[in-house]
Amino acid sequence: MKLPSHITPSARRRTGPASDRSPVYAMVGNPNCGKTTLFNALTGLRQKVGNYPGVTVEKKIGTAWSQHGKPIQVIDLPGAYSLAARSPDEAVLRDVLFGRREDTPQPDRIICVVDAANLERNLYLVHQVLDLGRPVIIALNMMDMAAAAGMKVDAAELEGALGIPVVACEAVHGKGLVELRLAMSRAELPLARHSWDVPVAVAPAVAELQASLTDHDGRPPLIARAEALLLLTDFDTVRVAGSKPLSGRTHGILDHWRRRWEGEGADWAAALIRSRYEAIGPLCRQAVVRTREQGPSRSDRIDAVLCHSVWGWVVFGAIMAALFFSIFSLAEAPMNFIDGRVAAFGSWVKDAMLAGPLRDLLTDGIIGGVGSVIIFLPQILILFFFVGLLESTGYMARAAFIMDRPMSKVGLNGRSFIPLLGSYACAIPGIMATRTIENAKDRLVTILVAPLMSCSARLPVYLLMIATLLPGDTVPAGRKAGIMVLMYALGTLGVFSFAWVFKRTLFKGAPPHMIMELPPYQPPRFMEITRHMAERGWLFLKNAGTIILAISIVLWFLSTYPKLPNPDATKTEQIAHSFAGQAGHLLEPVIKPLGFDWRIGIGLITSFAAREVFVNSMGVIFGIENAEDDNVPLRDAFRRATWPGGAPLFTPLVCLSLMVYYVFAMQCMSTVAVVKRETNSWRWPLFQIGYMTGTAWLACFILYQIGRAFGY
Amino acid sequence: MPASAFSARVQLCQLPAGATGRVCQLTGDESFCQRVREMGFGEAALVTKISGTTTSLCLVNGTRIALNHRAAMSIMVETLPALPAGKAE
Repeated sequence: MKLPSHITPSARRRTGPASDRSPVYAMVGNPNCGKTTLFNALTGLRQKVGNYPGVTVEKKIGTAWSQHGKPIQVIDLPGAYSLAARSPDEAVLRDVLFGRREDTPQPDRIICVVDAANLERNLYLVHQVLDLGRPVIIALNMMDMAAAAGMKVDAAELEGALGIPVVACEAVHGKGLVELRLAMSRAELPLARHSWDVPVAVAPAVAELQASLTDHDGRPPLIARAEALLLLTDFDTVRVAGSKPLSGRTHGILDHWRRRWEGEGADWAAALIRSRYEAIGPLCRQAVVRTREQGPSRSDRIDAVLCHSVWGWVVFGAIMAALFFSIFSLAEAPMNFIDGRVAAFGSWVKDAMLAGPLRDLLTDGIIGGVGSVIIFLPQILILFFFVGLLESTGYMARAAFIMDRPMSKVGLNGRSFIPLLGSYACAIPGIMATRTIENAKDRLVTILVAPLMSCSARLPVYLLMIATLLPGDTVPAGRKAGIMVLMYALGTLGVFSFAWVFKRTLFKGAPPHMIMELPPYQPPRFMEITRHMAERGWLFLKNAGTIILAISIVLWFLSTYPKLPNPDATKTEQIAHSFAGQAGHLLEPVIKPLGFDWRIGIGLITSFAAREVFVNSMGVIFGIENAEDDNVPLRDAFRRATWPGGAPLFTPLVCLSLMVYYVFAMQCMSTVAVVKRETNSWRWPLFQIGYMTGTAWLACFILYQIGRAFGY
Repeated sequence: MPASAFSARVQLCQLPAGATGRVCQLTGDESFCQRVREMGFGEAALVTKISGTTTSLCLVNGTRIALNHRAAMSIMVETLPALPAGKAE
């Protein structure tokens, strides 16, 4: 049975935007088909790209320019295999196309980005998009990958069959962009003439639901039809219709058809999908010619090692070891250089200015505080270089594959590992990446444990403590890296342990299914990696120049005033008398059992803003304490610090205890804000602060007290 | 493909590495089954197992797909005689 002709018209029609305004384009496609690369090429923006599914989880809007110089708004949407959304990122695509997002204009036209090497599967989404009755352009991307796989994809053949523009392109090499821009610049675009037959038994249900959605739920006719088809493919009405409940009438019709099909023992939902593939099959046979039979590809050969049950783990371990070793060995020279320049600048300011509060503010507060943080820039850049390598080559998805087995032991699956691995760099994109997880409970568990992965903000704290613990350049980098690995392992162990606990208590449920596409390997895109490193490095410096600078100034004030009336008081006595010192003393009874004094307490309080602020705070406090002695590195100031009785403050046990505290404690306001936004509730971020900080205190208490009992 | 060419019906996780099968039944929950079908992995699709028992790595329509044990247990396949490389698509 044919669908109504106004839905998938048999005659060619032409449409343009409703008014003279420039059309709004939406860019849609399967995950990892190169949408964002194409979006960046068209708009000149630099949105993050990567060679694994799920890089884009939120819409991005940019402006491209037509051949006549007119602006064209382009919306890049997260990838999806189907309009029947099953995860929050896929729901963004569906809601924008259906005009349900108040913050986004409903697109006038749609660019379907299609991976030419996987034409059949990619055309499934295209087929659903054509049902929306809007003008569509197909960007046949990754033509080079298709050729490498022994396929010749004929864009003209596909264009002839569908009746809409089909542009062959290779976004990554900038090929086909001119042709795509020309197609986008056309005042009118034809509607697809491709039609398909809904199974006879399903067609009355589609018509009835479409009418009800139009009449009782206020949907425009074409959206109503697309939604009717989705409801019949996925009976979960909340998932399809979103938070706005469907009318009783529509619910009734849906229930009626569901019961009827169950009674007949027919799986029409499956038949709907099959019928689409039956329509797509001939298109592919027309458009694709196999130029040669393909043996195992390069990716297959690499996967034989990297996904091997033994060698896969060996390579994974080697990559992680190389990462941590590089952080120490490669970063040492640039770090010493920055350290030297900061110290020289501080000395120059001290010599150039008269003694007084302003000079103290500049040298002890600003240069001491900000300088103590920015020396860790080289390590941050190395970390992001490695993360960039993993993301651009396609290894990220393999890491998820390898980690699936241990993840399944705690009730999650390998898909949760991609957000967790991303959290090594920063928990915020990691938490946002959980939008690709279909199961709501698993997503929440992943959000709750993701901040336990040691992020780049912890790096300065670990490095400072390791430098205090193992002073001197004669200590081999391997030993320092070993302690670092221990901290990262502890964080990862925390992730697994708490996920296990949460999956057996708060979020009980069957282990989730995982089905995930592994992209072909690609050579690293060093330009992209360098750009991403530069962006992250700039962000780090920007934070140092804004938030950390502001905290440095405030902390210097709080650590300097009120002044003691006795001018002969020591610097330590002066800080103890200051506002910050008083706050630290209030906290000291709680943290003394962990081996921390009031000065460390000030660092713990201020670093709730961000973990690296701890180093900055220590830089200010110990900079003031050692103000007479120029250029004392913080690690040396730590080694001089003592308790009132003269016992050293930063013993090896305290250094370890501090690191363990930062492994577990939830010390990041930005993460709290993102968790609130992603869970739409304050309950979970508050719970997260409670359980993580509680665990941090308990772990440090046990470590310190046992260490003391053994005489350390 | 003549019927005699098919042999045992097994779960995808039990399909040996290198073997090719045809998907004959999906037994997981409805949402999972629909997603699998939408990805072109539905009934009648040809699948070649590349590796894995706990987590399976398969080739479907030229795409490498990773499935965890529970997902691979939910997909029943009929084993096919070995095909030359590249024919599984």
